Amino acid sequence: MFFIRIAELNVMIKNRYGYVERLCKNYMIDGCSEEDADIIAFATDEQIDAELEIAETKASRAYAEGICIYRNLCRELPKKFDAYLFHSALIEYEGRGYAFAAQSGTGKSTHIAIWQKVFGDRVRIINGDKPIFRYKDGRFIAYGTPWCGKENYNVNDSVELSAICFLERAKENSIKRISPQDALMRLFHQLLAPEDLETVDTLFPLLDKTLTSVPCYLLGCNMDDEAATVAYNGMKN
Amino acid sequence: MKIKKGFVVREIAGQSVVVALGSATKDFNGMIKLNDSGRVIWDMLSEGKAAEDIVKKLMEIYEIDEETVRRDVEKFINTLQGANILE
Repeated sequence: MFFIRIAELNVMIKNRYGYVERLCKNYMIDGCSEEDADIIAFATDEQIDAELEIAETKASRAYAEGICIYRNLCRELPKKFDAYLFHSALIEYEGRGYAFAAQSGTGKSTHIAIWQKVFGDRVRIINGDKPIFRYKDGRFIAYGTPWCGKENYNVNDSVELSAICFLERAKENSIKRISPQDALMRLFHQLLAPEDLETVDTLFPLLDKTLTSVPCYLLGCNMDDEAATVAYNGMKN
Repeated sequence: MKIKKGFVVREIAGQSVVVALGSATKDFNGMIKLNDSGRVIWDMLSEGKAAEDIVKKLMEIYEIDEETVRRDVEKFINTLQGANILE
């Protein structure tokens, strides 16, 4: 058992395997007790079994426990904390947060690597795969978390979310702003689908706020350096 | 003919959407977007109204001829049946 702080929340993690503890080492906090915990997260045997069954590659029970714990943790976010997990690669550049989302295999990681190549160290990858968005004081803040995808890009930090960019592969690079209605389905596909009414009635107002307050873009991109400059120029204002 | 239990309709950014919860996720996973007339049909099907009543209602609202409305309602219902959403 140990405590971490993510998205400005104290999370108590009740683990059985050491893997998740090592994963979370940069997010651990001391001096917390169960009463201070905003969320208590653990995984049941049934959840770990189910996770192992659907895993694409052979995963260990310890790894599967980590995944289940994070999912359980994230399921609590909309209900009480105006927050949700958004499957995307989150970067910071010039003090602005950009979240890139796409179907698996489209090349989110490749795209943010191009940003780093083109714009250098000033581009910070806050989380490569599973950041948390939280609505605070009329704006969305995007937070790093220990869970971040196989490249292991993660920083224990946060940035105001300036734009969400959906990626599609294309021959030529181009970007356009899309309407909240056009972005809705794309957004929905990158989060944990609600399983109960309470989540619907807390998550959906958050999605509404996201779509009305954060500009969404559709980027058609290839692997050239130009993909990053086209994306940046389209979103910087 | 009625919408199965477990489907909920809500509005996000002015757009009516449907998601499945609980056991309904076995039949449907994801999100359905409804336009204005789709929302009317959905709501009436949820209440267990007959296709005839839905056609009448839509003709009242949109002042469109019966044949067009009937065709659209049937198409909509067929889509829902194909997706295993009706019982």
